[in-house]
Amino acid sequence: MNISRREFTKIGCRIVIGAAAGATIVESIISNSIAAEPSSTGDYDWNEHYWGYVIDTRKCIGCGRCANACKLENDVPFDEPVYRTWVERYRVLKEGEVKIDSPNGSIDGFTDDIPAEELKKAFYVPKICNHCDNPPCVQVCPVGATYATNDGVVLVDYDYCIGCRYCIQGCPYGARYFNKEKGTADKCTWCYHRITKGLLPACVQACPVGARVFGDLKDPASDVNKLLDKERINVLKPDLGTKPKVYYVGLDREVR
Amino acid sequence: MMVENLIWGYVYPNEAEIQWSVLIVLYPYITGLVAGAFIASSLYHVFGKKEIKPVARFALLTALSFLLVATMPLLTHLGHPERGIEIMFTPHLTSAMSGFGYIYSFYLIVVVLEIWLSFREDIVKTALNSQGWKKLLYSGLALFSYDISEKALHEDEKLAKKLAIIGIPSAAFLHGYVGFIFGGIKANPWWSTPLMPLIFLMSAIVSGIALLILLYIASMKLRKRAIDHKCLHSLAHYLWIFLILDVALELLEIVSMKYESLEDIEIINRLLSDKIAFTFYGVQLTLGILIPFILLLLVGIMKNRETLKMIMISVSSIFVVIGVFAMRWNVVIGGQEISKSLSGTLTYEPVFFSQEGVLPAIIILAIPFVILVVVTRILPPWKDMEEEVPESKPKSTIKHLY
Amino acid sequence: MQPHLKRAIFLLGVVIVGFIFIRSLVVPDSYGQYGAYRGDSVYENRNFTVEYAGSQSCGDENCHKTLYSIWADSRHKTVNCETCHGPSEKHVSNVRIMPSPANDSREFCGKCHYKMVARPSSFPQIDPESHGENLKCAYCHNPHKPWFV
Ligand code: HEC
Ligand code: HEC
Ligand code: HEC
Repeated sequence: MNISRREFTKIGCRIVIGAAAGATIVESIISNSIAAEPSSTGDYDWNEHYWGYVIDTRKCIGCGRCANACKLENDVPFDEPVYRTWVERYRVLKEGEVKIDSPNGSIDGFTDDIPAEELKKAFYVPKICNHCDNPPCVQVCPVGATYATNDGVVLVDYDYCIGCRYCIQGCPYGARYFNKEKGTADKCTWCYHRITKGLLPACVQACPVGARVFGDLKDPASDVNKLLDKERINVLKPDLGTKPKVYYVGLDREVR
Repeated sequence: MMVENLIWGYVYPNEAEIQWSVLIVLYPYITGLVAGAFIASSLYHVFGKKEIKPVARFALLTALSFLLVATMPLLTHLGHPERGIEIMFTPHLTSAMSGFGYIYSFYLIVVVLEIWLSFREDIVKTALNSQGWKKLLYSGLALFSYDISEKALHEDEKLAKKLAIIGIPSAAFLHGYVGFIFGGIKANPWWSTPLMPLIFLMSAIVSGIALLILLYIASMKLRKRAIDHKCLHSLAHYLWIFLILDVALELLEIVSMKYESLEDIEIINRLLSDKIAFTFYGVQLTLGILIPFILLLLVGIMKNRETLKMIMISVSSIFVVIGVFAMRWNVVIGGQEISKSLSGTLTYEPVFFSQEGVLPAIIILAIPFVILVVVTRILPPWKDMEEEVPESKPKSTIKHLY
Repeated sequence: MQPHLKRAIFLLGVVIVGFIFIRSLVVPDSYGQYGAYRGDSVYENRNFTVEYAGSQSCGDENCHKTLYSIWADSRHKTVNCETCHGPSEKHVSNVRIMPSPANDSREFCGKCHYKMVARPSSFPQIDPESHGENLKCAYCHNPHKPWFV
């Protein structure tokens, strides 16, 4: 072992480069032999769209059909307290206290357990993943198993997620949950499998009163843009700088 | 349903279950012990505090034993432990957590090298003086290179010092960064503070020194050797200083939160006065900081009466170790007991038998002690700790070590 | 440098090179295709099965054309067929698979129509105690055209 330092680094570099090259060759052989078929891209071009979502809380009747349809469409377990979308009920009592609830995420509907005389006001607020432009969940994922697509949807890679649940901690809206069956984090995808086929998200389709509106922010004539141009819009927790893409009409100050 | 009784006010429907369990409490606790023990050993290696020398190498072994299990609570907790390695293959750099693999590995290398250099002379000697598998083991550990000339050892010593200098910031980084994992979560008002890394670091050093004191006393008692009181008092002194820094930061956080009284103050107050009142005020602050602080102060004032002082030091160390665990608990569990809707709380009920239960936590916490026993068998650090040096080795060799 | 240090560094080098080697084998090809994530995952997310076919597909061709036009003309036109009938994509793609029967209980209509304080008052609501003499709603209302008694 009488190698000089320079020689030593030289050899070291060669080994590193060699290993990397070797790995690429082995890899190319493997991937060629499996002949990975190029994934079907279809005729959907994600650069042509940028999705947005408007919720008109003044219209919501709290029937919970959205939350129900979501679970059916996306195979979310019914017997676990996990929801991709849910409806909250806010009741401001005459004495000033605010009662908030969402029994079973509103899937079974609500029951009036406080008489109307005691209430100052009451209303429903549907909640869903905000698909933030500046998503804290994507920021904190340590392996890149959750990401924002070019068309503005935040998705989870179920085959890559390690299940550390950091994203669940990072989401200020409680929109993420842990899927015990898959062992990964899970969340609303705005029904990405539907919207890329020209369908509406299941919750939007299920809403009987048009409280949920979905559309393309890049299309000036879309339903969402019509509302955004006309109504006074707010988002949830704007101070956190997450830039949500779920816009609310008629949001009360109690809603967080 | 039972779950309902544990909930007060409104929590988001998805929050009904606590995601980070007692295992995640263990993770910062263990890395804290690692960082603390390492920094204690650096007091000798880098800052040349001769009083600490008896425990310097022992501290390194302690750090290694705990470092080796630091990943275990995390891996046990993952939904897909087999994918855990992705954190090293494709780290997503915007995530505070993604650095874990690399920081951890780097630190592991530093600690192993440091230990190797400080034990190399012993390793080589054992390799040369033994037979059979033992010879093979130690020769392997010596990497089949047996140069222990004065010059070689001197070179080793210099390198060890350099490594220790790198080691301090990386220990601080390893643990401060764990604090940042929590401190960087803007969604959670109880976590989101820039002080978090510093608080974690200070409590880490405190817990590491306390653990070292306990292990030192315990091993000396077990081996029936005399305790070096000078070393012990010096450790207690550092423990006391870091306790002050620790409590200053912890109080600063609470005071500024209460004083600023932002939107989330109501729920924070509820957390402090209801959910974690006992573990926070009782265990973390009183038992873990105030009582040890007074006891150690007395130790500093008192003259002679070594046995009493030793008892006081051990008692405060035990309290500190418990108090720091409570601190981790209050951060990790406390932060999840408030809803991000800021209008409700929930309660964590630990389960005993389950993947994320108390049982695996106890097992994981016991493993480092087993590792420590094994490692000290292979690389006995005792001769610097015991005043009478075993007859076979002349006293002068110790000097060459560093 | 001393031989034992050289060996240690060599060992470290082997570990690092081994890591680089394994990494390049294991990381999926499409990782980094569009960003710091696995590109194929986008397609996997696109390829989940659709369960809700949408009301249009019910009125298509020679299926429920009459019912559809009745419904499309009614005040229930904002209530999609599948909101009452459940997801029926399988039925649409294969007529032999019948969707589960619609829920015709009073409670189901009541999810939308029972009187509730939090509901906007303009929405038609009934008092479940007094309205309709505890009969099934379909006894008097046609669910597909509620005023077609
Ligand atoms: C408000 C809920 C509701 C909506 C919306 C609805 N249905 Fe129905 N549907 C029912 C109920 C309830 C029955 C059972 C009828 C009965 O018992 O008389 C039914 C029965 C039927 C039947 C069985 C045949 C029959 O006439 O009895 C068909 C076919 C049908 N619906 C098709 C449709 C289609 C197509 C649409 C959408 C255009 C639709 N339904 C929308 C509630 C609904
Ligand atoms: C998913 C929610 C939903 C369900 C379930 C539902 N409806 Fe409706 N219903 C509506 C909506 C929305 C309207 C239209 C209200 C409007 O135009 O303002 C409506 C309107 C009506 C009207 C007309 C009210 C009026 O003032 O003109 C009647 C009657 C009615 N529904 C009866 C029923 C019956 C009977 C059932 C059960 C078979 C039923 N609904 C189930 C949502 C629902
Ligand atoms: C016995 C026959 C009968 C039954 C059963 C019946 N309804 Fe009605 N419903 C009527 C009649 C008649 C009216 C119109 C007069 C009125 O407003 O009360 C009406 C009106 C309504 C309206 C419109 C009220 C408004 O203020 O615009 C709704 C909504 C409605 N019914 C829903 C239901 C639902 C839901 C059920 C089942 C739980 C049901 N009905 C059962 C006969 C019935």
